[in-house]
Order: sequence, then structure tokens, then C-alpha cells
Amino acid sequence: MPEITSVVNTLDERQPYIALKQAKKKGTALACDDTSIAGAMSQRACVYSGARVALNPVTDAVHLVHGPIGCASYTWDIRGSLSSAKETFRTSFSSNMKELDVVFGGEKKLSKCIGELAGLYNPPVIFVYSTCIVGIIGDDIQAVCKEASMAHNIPVIPVHSEGFKGTKSDGYKAACNALMQLIGTREPEITSPYTMNILGDYNVAGDVWLVRPLFEKMGIQVITSMTGDATCETISQAHRARLNLVQCSGSMTYLAKWMQTQYGIPFRKVSYFGIEDIAIALRTAAGFFGSQEMKRIAEEIIESETGRIMPEILSIRNRLKGKTAAIYMGGAAKALTLIKGFRELGMEVVIIGTQTGKKDDYEQISYQVRDGTVIVDDANPLELADLLIRQKADLMVAGVKERFLAYKLGVAFCDFNHDRVIEFEGYDGFLNFARELDASMNSPVWKAHGSRLKPAAPKVHQRTGPEEAIKERDNMHDHNTATMQGSVA
Amino acid sequence: MTDRSYATVNPCIMCQPIGSVMAFKGIESSMVLLHGSQGCSTYMRLHLAHHFREPVDIGSSSLSEKGAVYGGSENLKKGLKNLILRYDPKVIGISTTCLAETIGDDIGRIIAEFREEEDIASDRIIIPVSTPSYEDSHNSGYIKAVEAIVKEFTSLGSGSDIFNNKLNVVLSENISPEDTRELRRILSDTISPDSFILLPDISETFDAPMTGELQKIFPGGTSHSDIADMKNSAAMIGLGITSANRAVSYLEHVFDIPSQELPLPIGLEYTDRLVAALSMIAGTDIPEAYQKERGRLIDAMVDAHKYVYGTKVAIYGDPDNVLGMLSLALENGMHPILAVASGKSPGFAEYAMERVRQVKPDCDVTVLEDVDFDAFNDAVKKAKPKMLIGNSNGKYIAKEMGIPLVRVGFPIHDRVGAQRILSLGYLGAMNMLDRITNTILEAQEEKIDAKLSRPDRYASPDWLEFHPAEA
Repeated sequence: MPEITSVVNTLDERQPYIALKQAKKKGTALACDDTSIAGAMSQRACVYSGARVALNPVTDAVHLVHGPIGCASYTWDIRGSLSSAKETFRTSFSSNMKELDVVFGGEKKLSKCIGELAGLYNPPVIFVYSTCIVGIIGDDIQAVCKEASMAHNIPVIPVHSEGFKGTKSDGYKAACNALMQLIGTREPEITSPYTMNILGDYNVAGDVWLVRPLFEKMGIQVITSMTGDATCETISQAHRARLNLVQCSGSMTYLAKWMQTQYGIPFRKVSYFGIEDIAIALRTAAGFFGSQEMKRIAEEIIESETGRIMPEILSIRNRLKGKTAAIYMGGAAKALTLIKGFRELGMEVVIIGTQTGKKDDYEQISYQVRDGTVIVDDANPLELADLLIRQKADLMVAGVKERFLAYKLGVAFCDFNHDRVIEFEGYDGFLNFARELDASMNSPVWKAHGSRLKPAAPKVHQRTGPEEAIKERDNMHDHNTATMQGSVA
Repeated sequence: MTDRSYATVNPCIMCQPIGSVMAFKGIESSMVLLHGSQGCSTYMRLHLAHHFREPVDIGSSSLSEKGAVYGGSENLKKGLKNLILRYDPKVIGISTTCLAETIGDDIGRIIAEFREEEDIASDRIIIPVSTPSYEDSHNSGYIKAVEAIVKEFTSLGSGSDIFNNKLNVVLSENISPEDTRELRRILSDTISPDSFILLPDISETFDAPMTGELQKIFPGGTSHSDIADMKNSAAMIGLGITSANRAVSYLEHVFDIPSQELPLPIGLEYTDRLVAALSMIAGTDIPEAYQKERGRLIDAMVDAHKYVYGTKVAIYGDPDNVLGMLSLALENGMHPILAVASGKSPGFAEYAMERVRQVKPDCDVTVLEDVDFDAFNDAVKKAKPKMLIGNSNGKYIAKEMGIPLVRVGFPIHDRVGAQRILSLGYLGAMNMLDRITNTILEAQEEKIDAKLSRPDRYASPDWLEFHPAEA
């Protein structure tokens, strides 16, 4: 158990959320899974943001935000998820509620917006996100969506994501609840006795495209990946999978559990990041289906792919060895898998924190990290800055809000969030990750960091008067002549 | 997609609170607390960090369901207290979100209670500003916050009442840190370094030098004594003319300070207007250095004139920025076929058309405002410009049309250096003109290269559009 000590100077109320791992001492559990403290500058967003990040990658859906304009403006195409087909999800749709809509209710406008977009974009599904204000004025979006579904003959699904009604995790649930409305509404064409879904992968920078082919090579039919590169059609067929592999457990375990109850589909938690975890993921799938042939192919993939990337990984490892890392992630699953990933690159984690980790997550994290590592829940910029200095981190892996904080402190940085444009999953993804760390930690720019320019050191012979000046000029002349003569000779 | 009357598709505007944040960040030792749910502050921090590439801390009262039902007083007070304990700001701006506005919290009363209950509140200036997201846009949020700042500081009993013979310069639209620095230089050189008060000033706070340390609040911004002293000034210039500059109106009415409103100094004509006005106020001739700068700009305009002549360009963004770029495009002989303002402002369309009449009355220009990017996209398809000038959100349209985008304005999240884009003054005009001209030249080169790589490369070059003889 990690021990709660006053690790950094912060608000008293925040102290229970920061702990130092010390194996020999028994301490109380890290506080977590609470609402953020006002004025504490949490890095978390709101319920709506949770719903939006989990659901937005559904590529062919119209994602309509019911609320004033801001909520749609700030989330326009920020997810970094890629699509192999339609790109409707990269367009920002809003009912743009104005003062009159707030006073008289926004239901009519919402209903007209849905009708308009259904006609113009002809989407297979429309998700309607409710924002703070909808929860206050009490628009019945459930009823509006139901009516619209019938009128336009497509599923129009409400996402109950009023910003203030909980935390980001509640937003994940709202997204899962919306997905449940689609699952089981269509039958897939089954092409293999082995079927599965990839859950909790958002295809940021094309991650899924480096993972899915590995399973297909093993003879598995991947029905859908949720929600990265998912379409309305593939999601609606997800109930025919025999197995769910869950990566981002914070967002998708809720859905996996529901599918287990509803359709009897078991799930396994995996990660596609890092050499060891990818191997575990492939073996988990092969082990589940029990096919000897599949197990053989899995081992073949693991051996050949690991062999392929290892030479470069080792050469980068030599440069990174012994360096220290700070992890601050949205979810615990990514934080956990990163601990292993850093170890594979010879690095040690000295700070680890998440926005939405739960009690079990922090227990697991605590087992994985060394003594002296700081574990933190719902950290804020000033705590993170103090920790980076205290723990002497060489590199931080987090999102854009933390990037510039790390830079100001001279700490290298790797973005493992929405802003990433290169894949980090799969074998090539891990190579990309290693290259990224190498690039940031071994750049020469840090040599100049925090420096101040001083005047050049004065020359030994200062010109003090005309006499000396002449002498110096003569000397210089002599010197020049000598050099020239020397070079001619 | 055409013919929409209800849904907004790819918004051009952001909400009022983010505008207020940009204003508050331009004053010394200040922090903003958004009264609303946690997400608002986080989203705006993200948006601003992407653009300025700096750490951006914005507090939140983190309203929960309980707060929304029983009122947000407890959360707001706690937020204020924690913000003071951690950041020790001398000024706290409280901007309301749509949630706080709708539940109807009385912010003034809550602040008064907070002052009574907490000792740490003394010596802090707390400035509330009402900025619900369902009204207007980020532009109005900026104007409202600047007004609230001026009102608060000038109504404080303390401070001197002695005439200071200074010039107030008050912005009504956000400009880049680099532009702010350029504006300060122009003011220093024409009026003198201690004879003007510029509000807001984000030159250091949103573009802080690397020192090796992380400052809780970046130094810089308009000083408190300067803002309080604005009531004693001799004259005032409001920069930006498309919207009413509320802070300027307030100071004029209450303290009887004569004012004039000038467009943002973008391009030759609008910079001339500012420099001439400043020299008139200073009672001096135009500084020789500025005559030289101006001469170099005209030299640059002559160098570029044939490359840019008649190039159809669509300009979009915040209204005063667009007006300035429109002016720059017109005076260089370009054809600004579309001028589109993000939000609605009372003067934009009128000033834009006036500028067209002044420079090229027969020029066919479509002026739009309060539209979304989807409507802009429709207009672009119809007008077929050869280039876009505006923020990063136009990149989808540029890509689809296969035309270049010259980035300027806010937000720019897909390129580095947004904080250092210089567009104001003679130097800014030169910078923008060079960028625009080189973009045209690059596009032409690509076109020529594509043609030359074909087997019929020796064919007569009649496929070229107008191209100046001197390559």
C-alpha cells in the first residue's frame, strides 16, 4: 500500500490524493474517484467530455451537441481518431442554443436540427449529447430523440452527458449506454468460427490498424472496434462476437460487463502497447479460442515481429537507459501499460497519476511501481510541477495541458493523448513511442534551457590609450602577416 | 451543405468565457475562475494551450449536481479561496458560464459574503463578468471583460485623481502577443514609453520567455496602477471599430476623456491612420524611422504588386482582424471576393463595404457575418477564391478546394508560432504581404512543375494563367 505523506506542498484537502510508495510501511489507501475540488485546477473535464471522447470516433454518425455553441466549438475534431471510410464524425454539429432557447426550451429547435441533419447528411445514426444547460432547463431529449427516430427512420440516440452531473467517468457510462441502443440490431456475416470485438481502442493516429491485422492473421474475425474506426453497422453487429478484448478499461468495462450479462460474451482486459503486453493480448485471444493452429500463428507473429523491431529498440534503449519518467494519464489502463513499456526501454517510473483511476487501479499501480514512486489522483499543474522537480523526472508522458508545463521545467515530453499523430500501439507503434522518447530526451535544445547570456570575457590586453592601441594594432598586424606567410609557405 | 436554418455545422465562434479569459490574462497578476462545471475551464485551457503553446491555468468552481440545484455559492467561495491559496493572484476575474447564469447565482452577493468571511480576500480585486455561452461570442466576452476591468479599477476609491496627460489605448479584439509587442513599440516611439496605457497586454503573459522556472502566474500584463490611472488620462484610442468598445465609452462618459476609435492597424492605410493620430496627439512630426519603415512597406508593395494582383482571396476570422486583412488585400490589388466575420458585430459589414468603395468600388466582394464554417464553405465553393486567409479552422475547406491557407488569427492549433504572428503596423503589413506573395509564388511553381513534368513540356505555355514576366 502506498503511504499518504505530505509529498508536495498543496491544499490540505488534496493531500489524501497524493502518496509515496513505501513497501515496508502500511498506509491508508489513496483517495480517488471523487468530484474535483473547486479552485484546485483539476486537469479533468466534464461528463460531456467523457461521453464525447468515448463516442465521437464512431465515424459515420452525426454527433449533435445540444447546447450553447462553446461545447461544440472546443470539441471539433480534437480526438485524433482516424477513419477508413466516412469522416462525418470530424464535423462539429451543434443546436447552438441562444438565450430564447434557454428561456422557452430547446426541444423544438433540437427536433428541427435533427430533421435538417438527417436530410442533409443521411447518417445511419445520430447521437444527441446533452450539455449542462439542458439538464437545468429540463429539455426532454429522450422524447425528442424517440420521435425523431420514428420520423426519420434511423436511430436517434440521446447521450445523457450534462456536464455537471458527475465526472468524466460518468460520461464514459453515458457513451456506453448510447452504444447499447445500437448493439444487437443487425446480424453480421460470420466468416470465421472465431469472432471478437476490440473494445476501448479509439484508433488515435491509426492505432487499431496496427493491431486488428494481427488478430485477423490468427484467423479471428474482428466484428467491430469500439469506438475507433467503428461504424453504426459494425457496432450493431457486436453481439455476435464470442469474446470482447477490453483495452481502455476505464471507459469500456461497463459496456463489456453489460454484453456479458446481455449476450453471454466474456471479456478480457488487455493492452496493445509494449512488447510484453502485445504478446499477452495475442496469447489471451488464442488461449480463449483454444485453437492449436491459432496459438502457433500467435507465437509466430510474436517471434517474428519482436525480432523485427528489437534491433532498433535496443539501440534506443541504450540511450534511454536509467532515465526517469512521469506518467499522467486520463485512464488507469494506459498508465499501467506504460509502466511496463518504460521498463522495456530501460526507464524507471518515478511519478504516476491518472484523472479517473479507481481504488483497484491504484492498488495495481502500487504493485507495479518501485518504492519512492509518487502516485497521484486528479493532479493539478502546480502539484505536477512540484513533483517533476522533486522526483527529478527526465520525461513526462501526458496530454497537451501538461506539455508546456513540462517544457518550462526543462522536462522532455511525449503526448500520449488525442494530439498524437503517430501510432503507439502494436509493434510499429512501440517503435514509434521509443523514437519519440529518444527525440525529446536527446534533443540538443535542452542544453540552452534556462540559460542566461553573459558578456564575453574581457580580452587580456584591453585598449586603454592611444599608445597601447597602436601597439595592439601592430601586434595584430604581425600576427596576421605571420599567419598569411605561414599559409603561403 | 446548403439550406440550413437550425443546426450549426463547424462553428466559427467560441463562447463568451474564453474571450473574457484572453482579456483577464492581459492584466498583471491575474487569474480567472469560471463559475460553472469543471469541463468549461479544461476545454478553454486546452484550446488556449494549443494556440499559444504555453501552460494556461484557469480555475473552475467545479459545479456539481448539488451546486446546480441549491446554488453555486459554496463552490464559488471555495474555488476563490483555493485559487488564492495556491496562486496568490492580486486580481481574480470571475466569468460566468451558461450553467451559472441559468441557475441564477448572484455573483456580486457571493463575492461580498466571501470578503466578509475570508481574511485572504482583502487586498484582492475580484471582478465578476457575466458571459453566458448562449449570448454572442468570444469577441463580446473579450469586450465585456475589458469593460468590467476598467470599471472595477477606476471606481476603486484609492489611487490618484491627478491628470496624468497619458493616452489610453484599449483593444476591443484579441491580438497576438507579437502584435501586442509591435503595438507597444509604435506607441513608445511616437508618444514616448511612459505616456500610454495599453489594455489588455498579453505580450508576456501568453508568450513567456523560457527562464528554467515555472511561474505560477507569468509576469507582465497591464499594471494595476496603470489601469486605475486610466481615468486621469488626456486622451483615448479604442482599437477595433466593428463593435462598440464599452470600456472606452465608459471612460469617456464618466471621466470625460476624449476618445477616437481606429481600426486595428493592419495594412498601409490603417497603420497610417494610427501613426498619424499618435503623432497628432504627441504634437510631433512622424518619426523619421517610421517614414523609413513606411517607405520600405511601399517598396515591398511595389515589389509584390504583380504577383498578387487580382488574386481572389477569401478572408475570415474575428471581425476587426478581417476588416484589417480586407484593407491590406484591397490596397495591394488583390480581389477579396469573400470577407467573413466569425460573430455578429454592428459595424463590420458597413466598414468592410466602405473600405471596398474607397479602394476599388467596382470590386465584387461578398460580406458575411455570424455564419458557420459550413455556410462559409458554400460561399467559397461559389466564389472560387485562389487562397484563404484566416485561422486553422479553414484548413478543411482549403484542403477540399486544393488552395493554400495563410494562417492568421485565433485559433491556430496545427502550426507553430501562432503567438509570434506579426500582422500589425508597417512591419506586420510587410510580413503578411511577403507571406501572401510567397504562398502565391509557391502555388504557381507547383502548377508549373506539374505541367513541365508531362511529356508535352515543350508545348506553348498558354496553359499558364496570368503570370508576371519577371518570374
